Amino acid sequence: MSRHKLGMAPVLLWLSLFLIIPMLIVAGISFLQRDALGQLVFSFSIEGYKTFFDPLYLGIYWDTIVLSVTTTVICLLISYPMAYYIANAPPRVQTWGLILITVPFWINFLIRTYAWILLLRTQGVVNTLLMEFGWIQEPLQLLYTPGAVLLGMVYNFIPFMVLPIYVALEQMDKRLLDAAYDLGASKWKAFRHITLNQSKSGIMTGCVLVYVSTTGMFVVTDILGGAKSAMISNIIQSQFLGARNWPFGAALSVIFVLTSLILILLFNRAMQARYLKVKEGGA
Amino acid sequence: MKKSVWTRLLLAGLLTTVAALSLAGCGSDKETLHIYSWADNFDPDVLKDFEKQYDVKVTYDNYANNEDLLAKIKAGGSGYDLIQPSDYMVKTMIDLDLLEPIDMNNIPNFENISETFKNPEFDPGNQYSIIYTSGVTGIAYNKKYVKEDIKSWDDLWNPAYEGKVLLLDDNREMIGMALKKQGKSNSTTDEAEIKGAEEELKTLLPNVLAFDTDNIKQKMIQEEGWIATVWSGDASFIAKDNPDVAYVVPQEGATIFSDNYAIPKGSKNKELAEKFMNYMMDPEVSAKNYEFIGYSNPNTKAMDFHTEEYRSDTMINLTDEELGRTEWLKDVGEALQTYDRSWNELKSGR
Repeated sequence: MSRHKLGMAPVLLWLSLFLIIPMLIVAGISFLQRDALGQLVFSFSIEGYKTFFDPLYLGIYWDTIVLSVTTTVICLLISYPMAYYIANAPPRVQTWGLILITVPFWINFLIRTYAWILLLRTQGVVNTLLMEFGWIQEPLQLLYTPGAVLLGMVYNFIPFMVLPIYVALEQMDKRLLDAAYDLGASKWKAFRHITLNQSKSGIMTGCVLVYVSTTGMFVVTDILGGAKSAMISNIIQSQFLGARNWPFGAALSVIFVLTSLILILLFNRAMQARYLKVKEGGA
Repeated sequence: MKKSVWTRLLLAGLLTTVAALSLAGCGSDKETLHIYSWADNFDPDVLKDFEKQYDVKVTYDNYANNEDLLAKIKAGGSGYDLIQPSDYMVKTMIDLDLLEPIDMNNIPNFENISETFKNPEFDPGNQYSIIYTSGVTGIAYNKKYVKEDIKSWDDLWNPAYEGKVLLLDDNREMIGMALKKQGKSNSTTDEAEIKGAEEELKTLLPNVLAFDTDNIKQKMIQEEGWIATVWSGDASFIAKDNPDVAYVVPQEGATIFSDNYAIPKGSKNKELAEKFMNYMMDPEVSAKNYEFIGYSNPNTKAMDFHTEEYRSDTMINLTDEELGRTEWLKDVGEALQTYDRSWNELKSGR
């Protein structure tokens, strides 16, 4: 037992040095004041938190949540069939499927995002092809639109969804399905009560990973959205740099972390409640 | 069965992991000048020449904006000897006591610098800074698509350019532009005036294709945008790749900016930094350097060494008449929060 604890020491040290202490510093800064040059003034203030409840910033936060939830749902809808297919394929196909999904990660995230510009811009691949085929006369404005932002987000985060679901599906006890069929369950019923239920942990992990990554992402909105919208992470960044308002930026960060945690907990609750209901219904 | 999943995942994971081992440079006794500046702001050959001539080493790190620079220098212990803050940032850094006074006795070549750029309002008497390059935020437009004669900021609002206007992704620059259009100072601290500029910019949004600072050049070269707010040096860069692009300093006036040499407090090689500045202001060296970076050279003696192409580039060498219509951005103190808020309202459509 004590040896076990000793083994945990590096992890705890790492977490406290690089996660907990920095977060506490941010939380501390959020209660400070600033002067006109952006220097921190060491006296207590909740001005940063007050500013957040301005309709402007509440609205920006709402936009961010809507975009993140939309991205998560689309990722889930695309990734589940993908993961399902890979998990049920022969081992060779499985390996290749996983490699194909992870290969894009060999390339830097920014480069992958810039590559979309080449595809989507007015003189880009998509527009050129469509005009070649004579389907459109004028190039379509694909880039710098909310659609392009959503596309970039979904594209970048699909692996985060596929991999956890794949692991869950692969580890599922497939004998349960046989049992369900033997008891006369339809294909859909068996899928709903067994496969879907058993892969719940994967769905959960995938959704949390995608949601959290999306809310913190501002590069995609800048590059593919033409910086025409403001996400909460853009605002946080600008408070620490251009606007020289660290207490407000820190307050936003604290609120951001807390609301994400609450949303994840609620989501977790909902998933568990569903699971219990299914169990009761089945009994 | 469980094992095989993890083996496969591990295999995929291993394949995706690229481990890059960077070996720290070997130690050397040579004096080293640590420069922290914008990307591509020096001709690498000129830096090499300096290393050779003075038997020293030069390191050169980059930042993308003045705020990054400020954050790094404020944090202390950066170890840099020479930085290149823009005009308003020089003032901010002086106010924050982050700069070392420059000893002009070590920089005799300072006399080569044009009087226009000596003694700037953000650093009277050049106590802490010396001009490196300057430019003006004007309008670049592609004559293939823009047939009108562009003279005024008002032209950006022309409905003919719906979805084809590019703006700098910079709060002070763009609100400053709208202020200039309305005949106000680009650095007003009057809340109503800032608000008025925001309303003006809101009516421009239907024309805006994108906000971009770093890649606005590419977007103009690729003809994604037809007309844009662009720094004069960038306009020259664009026009070299796309000769259809012209540049104008609008009649209402515009924002002038400069990048400057400065020495941060805590520099361990202050004298070497001064030696470097003096070297860079040598007419011949200077010409070589500015030919490479393609920005304006404030060194009057260097003109003889420049190519005809550089000297005749009207986007690099702005006329006194054009410069006369410009205004520096000043630090607006607490009003910065109003600018920030207006910018956020504009971006979020609220």
